[in-house]
Amino acid sequence: MSRILVSYATLGYPKEREYLEFIDGCIREGSDILEIGVPPKYAKYDGPVIRRSYKQVSTWLKDIWPLLKETRNRVKIPIIILTYLEDWLPILDDFLSNLSKIGIDGILFPDLLIDYVDEYEKYVKIIRDHGLKAVIFTAPSVPDPMIQKVSKISDIFLYYGVRPTTGVPIPVSVDSLITRIRILVNNKLVVGFGLSDVEDMRKALRAGADGIAIGTAYIEAIEKGGVQDAINLVKYFRGVLNEF
Amino acid sequence: MAIEREEILPKYWYNIIPDLPKPLPPPRDPPEAEFSRIDLLRKIMPKEVLRQQFTVERFIKIPEEVREAYLNIGRPTPLMRAKRLEEMLNTPAKIYFKFEGATPTGSHKINTALPQAYFARAEGVNHVVTETGAGQWGTAVALAARMYNMESTIFMVKVSYEQKPQRRTVMELYGGKVYASPTNLTEYGKKVLAENPSHPGSLGVAMSEAIEYALANNYRYLVGSVLDVAILHQSVIGQEAMKQMDILGDEPDILIGCVGGGSNFGGFAFPFLGAKRGEKFIAVGSYEIPKFSQGDYMYDFPDSAGLLPMVKMITLGKDYVPPPIYAGGLRYHGAAPSLSLLIRQGMIEWREYSEPEIFEAAKLFAEAQGIVPAPESAHAIKAVIDEALKAKKNNEKKVIVFNLSGHGLLDLPNYELMMKRLSK
Ligand SMILES: Cc1ncc(COP(=O)(O)O)c(C=O)c1O
Repeated sequence: MSRILVSYATLGYPKEREYLEFIDGCIREGSDILEIGVPPKYAKYDGPVIRRSYKQVSTWLKDIWPLLKETRNRVKIPIIILTYLEDWLPILDDFLSNLSKIGIDGILFPDLLIDYVDEYEKYVKIIRDHGLKAVIFTAPSVPDPMIQKVSKISDIFLYYGVRPTTGVPIPVSVDSLITRIRILVNNKLVVGFGLSDVEDMRKALRAGADGIAIGTAYIEAIEKGGVQDAINLVKYFRGVLNEF
Repeated sequence: MAIEREEILPKYWYNIIPDLPKPLPPPRDPPEAEFSRIDLLRKIMPKEVLRQQFTVERFIKIPEEVREAYLNIGRPTPLMRAKRLEEMLNTPAKIYFKFEGATPTGSHKINTALPQAYFARAEGVNHVVTETGAGQWGTAVALAARMYNMESTIFMVKVSYEQKPQRRTVMELYGGKVYASPTNLTEYGKKVLAENPSHPGSLGVAMSEAIEYALANNYRYLVGSVLDVAILHQSVIGQEAMKQMDILGDEPDILIGCVGGGSNFGGFAFPFLGAKRGEKFIAVGSYEIPKFSQGDYMYDFPDSAGLLPMVKMITLGKDYVPPPIYAGGLRYHGAAPSLSLLIRQGMIEWREYSEPEIFEAAKLFAEAQGIVPAPESAHAIKAVIDEALKAKKNNEKKVIVFNLSGHGLLDLPNYELMMKRLSK
């Protein structure tokens, strides 16, 4: 079975037309799963590039639902929403119901195990009760026994962010990090957070990752050269994954 | 003898992060950040230091050159029994102390200054920068830089610069350039001086100046405490102490250390905690800077100017202005994230003691053992005395081990002032 490419897009970035073009390109060039970032008030664990994209989108996107619906209609592959639990807590039921109604597959809250570690099981249940899949975000700072435990209950795959933030190339030993947690994870393992360097990517895959998640690199490509450049990157990353 | 020393000195640093009971909340950028502080770390910290800051390997190899440097500065430091103190307290408890004051700069700070300087040198850097309050950290950086043939610039809080000329002299002897902060060398310093030409300086201001200066000149900034990597390097203290306890054939019950940013306490106690040795861990702070009793556990900046990424820690707030107490090294608003988490999980206890109490403890220790403790370390001693007296009351043969993080021979002006204040 080939490795999984999870492609990330910030909802509506940079503008509606280009966003949809990019989504189409992601699918065409072989993404397996789409991860859509819904701009939060405070992107606590995101780096400067993704934060810029949120800011840009927030200037014009006032209602997320029509565009989320449109995204769902164009795309057959699974869609996972990435957003912060903190922002949605006051209206969590409505939010999850709406996602479920329009046919979104799952949700990933990067702050779940960090800021709500004592209640994560409760929130996983709430997510599932709404008919959504709960994709759990982990990081190197999650203790071994906890990785083992949550890896089993994470739906679709377990997400593992190797850096403390997205899109800042902090020097980390990708191979030893993944070798360490591969033996703990009894599930599909998708690695992300600053994984745009193809050597890092290969290291991750060699060390046993089932897939990679890419976000910042696409946004940077869009910033610099436009949507087509980002789509070319999807194709390029697909090629790297296909080496394995 | 030489062989024995090398055997006691560990070959790996110990990292507690994978052994914490809960995920350690990662550093993060503030909500409306105009620039990424996490990204800034890449520009100011040596690459390998930054890698170690974010690693989760339980054991990290100490480069051979750094081990040699550790041996060269007299590591392993002695683990000694405070026999006379036991007698004076008439306690059935045994008291041991790890004496970090036996290093050339007089405190534990050299344990992380050396590897940070080494990693900076290894990537071709020829100049390191830091700030210092009381002077211990600056002294360690000045020596470490010299040992690797690098220049060093130290921004020293102006009041200390004026009140502690000997510290300055030591740093200059090692070849360090010492400036009284706020200076006119940085934009931030200029701004502070423009607002108040007679500003006395603060650790926050000095830190901001050091970071700006390092950035502007493409030098590297060395970090003295609080961040995980400083505690990682300090783990040589606890690991040595474990071996030394083994050699003595004793097992610790109670482990005690003082806390400024948390590096000497963590470096001493975490290896024991990770190896599940010891039943009680006590972190001691200052009553006058009540972070344990009154601080919140929340995301805050390590530096007052907010240039470093926010970390989740027990904190009085970055803008908290500590009173000018006798123990300069404890005048810090927060405690390291890992230590804060362990305290909040109830795995580490805390105490806070006031000036008269620590003065009495320091004096008793000096009379008993002949060593003048750093005022910071005297906080640990006060907790030791309390535990030893408790053991006496309950007639328990507890084994108490504490970290004597530094000697107080350059703190004599402080002690003089304390004597004056307290004899009134
Ligand atoms: C002798 C001594 N002990 C303890 C400390 C406290 O620092 P930390 O808690 O980071 O080890 C200092 C700081 O300057 C010090 O000089």
